[in-house]
Amino acid sequence: MLEVAQHAVEAARKAGADYADARFVAEEAESLTIKNREMEGVDRSYSQGVGIRVLAGGYWGFAATARTEEAEIDRTARLAVSIARAASRLPMEPVRLASVEPVTDRWSSSFEVDPFAVPLDEKVGLLMEASGNMQRVQGVSFAEAMLDLYRRRTAFASSEGAAIEQTILNSGGGIEATAIRDGEVQRRSFPSSFRGCLKAAGYEHIRTLGLTEQAERIGREAVELLSAKECPSEVTTVVLDGDQVMLQVHESVGHPLELDRVLGMEEAFAGTSFVGPADRGKLRYGSDRVTITADATLPAGLGSFGYDDEGVPGQRVVLIDGGVFQNFISSRETAPVLGGEARSSGAMRADGWQNLPLIRMTNINLEPGEGTLEEIIGDTKDGIYMATNQSWSIDDKRVNFQFGCEVAWRIKDGKLTELYRNPNYTGITTEFWGSCDAVGGREEWVLWGTPNCGKGQPGQVARVGHGTSPARFRNVRVGVR
Amino acid sequence: MPGLIGPDEVRTVSEAALELPGADGVEVLFMHEWGGLTRFANSSIHQSTWREDTGIRVRVVTGGRVGVAASNDFSKDGAAKAAASALEMAQVAGPDPNWPGLAPKAQPPTRAGFDEETAAVGPDRRAEGVATAVAQLDRAFHAAGAFDTSGVEIALANTEGQFCYAPYTHAGFTTVVSGGDGGSGAAETTGPKVSEVDPEAIGRKAFQKARDSQRPADAPPGRYEVVLEPSAVDTMVAFLSYMGFSGRAIAEGRSPFSGKAGQQVAAPAISIYDDALSPLTMGIPFDFEGTPKRRVDIIENGVFKSGVYDRRSAKSAGTESTGHALPQPNPEGPFPLNLFLATGDDTLEEMIRSTQRGLLVTRFHYSNIVHPIETTITGMTRDGTWLIDNGEVSHPVKNFRFTQSILEALSNVQMVGRESVLASEFFFAASRVPALKVGSFNFSGASDH
Repeated sequence: MLEVAQHAVEAARKAGADYADARFVAEEAESLTIKNREMEGVDRSYSQGVGIRVLAGGYWGFAATARTEEAEIDRTARLAVSIARAASRLPMEPVRLASVEPVTDRWSSSFEVDPFAVPLDEKVGLLMEASGNMQRVQGVSFAEAMLDLYRRRTAFASSEGAAIEQTILNSGGGIEATAIRDGEVQRRSFPSSFRGCLKAAGYEHIRTLGLTEQAERIGREAVELLSAKECPSEVTTVVLDGDQVMLQVHESVGHPLELDRVLGMEEAFAGTSFVGPADRGKLRYGSDRVTITADATLPAGLGSFGYDDEGVPGQRVVLIDGGVFQNFISSRETAPVLGGEARSSGAMRADGWQNLPLIRMTNINLEPGEGTLEEIIGDTKDGIYMATNQSWSIDDKRVNFQFGCEVAWRIKDGKLTELYRNPNYTGITTEFWGSCDAVGGREEWVLWGTPNCGKGQPGQVARVGHGTSPARFRNVRVGVR
Repeated sequence: MPGLIGPDEVRTVSEAALELPGADGVEVLFMHEWGGLTRFANSSIHQSTWREDTGIRVRVVTGGRVGVAASNDFSKDGAAKAAASALEMAQVAGPDPNWPGLAPKAQPPTRAGFDEETAAVGPDRRAEGVATAVAQLDRAFHAAGAFDTSGVEIALANTEGQFCYAPYTHAGFTTVVSGGDGGSGAAETTGPKVSEVDPEAIGRKAFQKARDSQRPADAPPGRYEVVLEPSAVDTMVAFLSYMGFSGRAIAEGRSPFSGKAGQQVAAPAISIYDDALSPLTMGIPFDFEGTPKRRVDIIENGVFKSGVYDRRSAKSAGTESTGHALPQPNPEGPFPLNLFLATGDDTLEEMIRSTQRGLLVTRFHYSNIVHPIETTITGMTRDGTWLIDNGEVSHPVKNFRFTQSILEALSNVQMVGRESVLASEFFFAASRVPALKVGSFNFSGASDH
């Protein structure tokens, strides 16, 4: 694979590229879905190809092909250069890349059990049992269990001399119970919504998820929600579980701190950001309880890697320190805008071989505070505890958001009391993080995975990670209708 | 432009999968996609890409058990390997009691959707288009957006003797113009032919909106009369479809239309139908199972008539597939990709003139579902929102958050535009919709810009 990538770089240089890099990517995936103990989907896929990125005259060009024979690679390299030259039709400050040491290396994510080697009937058996355990609860209409596996092998070469081979394995699964009665539909998921919790790990991760053990509880909660009251409309204290804090971090911290968005490069589609380069070290983003990092070096993180798709090593960067904004998530192209000898934070990743690398979140983490979830709730006189993300919406500068959860309970005098259905809350990003007065400790901290982060044109999907604990926020508007 | 692979070679490669021993039935879905996208921001071209891929997706059934495998190795060997992998998957699956069988041999209607000129567009022409759009702006403003042109060949072959093949093309141009003293404007076009993309008109329209939305004022959230331009209407139609038009969701009781056949669900002025065969949309004449597509009237004069079906959901509901299968397997079930909201008699100007105190909305942003049965969604306004006062556009306002039931809004429709445009809320579907005037729309919050 590496030889093909190196040949592509050489072909691009011959075609006139000032800089070139190439990625030969081969990805296999397996997806299983069981619904009411029947096979809903059994799906395997394999895709490979080469993406060639060039700089010519200060402009970017990118072309990708599924065919890897030499003549096709040569043709695609020439096409990438011609695309870069066409871009010069409009003037632009020439692209200047932050420096990086060219590396020759091999890197693989860790795992104990290769999930692709686990017999299919064992995987199906696990999901069947989980589905059956949910179905045993009277009133459950649909009992789904799912499992997703990905293995991506990448060979990266650049005209600066980088030669990196990398293999990343992702595994995950989840369960979902749906209850329907009298025109009301309620859903509960575990351990996370939208196909469960993925990690950079092997089948050992799936075995420890507890899908069969938690299935009955999840089914019961879905049915109980049918009889629950609607979440009231009020301004109150909100405690969010770690899964929902993950979504909150993703949408209202991760995306607005992507430097390409800040610089307007995503304006037409996903939007820009309320944060600017001059805000570094000055903007109060949240309370002093809020410290947020981007860390691609965490073991088992869905956003962990040895090197990003520009050959920059994975690293840990403090984004928000004690509530004050410090750093962006950046790339080799965007980092120099910050001045001086600014280096890339190592966050460029592409969805497969066929897409251009973009700045993507790595593992964006709310660093742990102190105390358990029980202690945070116990310390709350009146409020609402919400769990498990259900929906999300945020404006084009990441200021005004509204998020929904699957389930909520009233907190009264430090105890969970009444169950509420259809809970949601809304806020303004910096006001909301500014109202955070408790973050759960290390014992509550979980490294979650988000497998469906969309960005870019053509649209790309990235798998990213978020380490979070439950957290408490004051004066939040809930029950928006 | 890469050469078309063509039906003969597709048939030859597919045979290698269809001849799989040990299978009761085999289906091969083939796609060949190529295209370029010239992306611009800050009035410069910053990301410009091209890609080409082929893919085969093989579905195998044995003893009522179904497995699927996909590969981008378009060769006889690749097809045979994918089929063998799908068979292995099928052998561990339980029998599907609702397995409807593969699509029978049937000739789909012919549909012209392939444009040679669009298929052959290169980066220079796209760059020229971007430059033309950017040239419409004053210096205080800048543009971002994308100009994309692409081609697709799609084919379906199965062991029932069905074989269908169609090539089609797409050209789209979107732009957002911003700058000056705040405010922005957007314009877009999408369709099968690059010759129908007018970058000058798109750039001019987005710039005009950006200029007209300078210095937006604060306005209180609340209920307003609202005039929704087609892009905003498309968001509502697309989400209504996602939540409710699948025959499977209807049968399972998780659609807002479950048990509602024959009932009034919207104003009499509202008719929604799906018609991939109309020359006014982009589409292919068969679905991803090889069933010929046909028009389905979903809401007629405000009355819910029918959802759409693939073979599996049709069998469960005791009806026939309407040709709306997505690539299999698909837990969501069938989906309409070519929706129309029927036009009415009114112009945008007439809608504005009839509004006492309301809002004019260009488009919505990042919408999502709040309550699927109530068809409530939330999202933001973006790229041009204005207060209408006493029948006239008064001044631009900062963006609002809305939290609104779509069916409630469609029940409050007072005027329907006489012209429709093709728009795309989701990546893979396009709806043709007019502007609407709605009597009451819930804006639940506001942003700072």
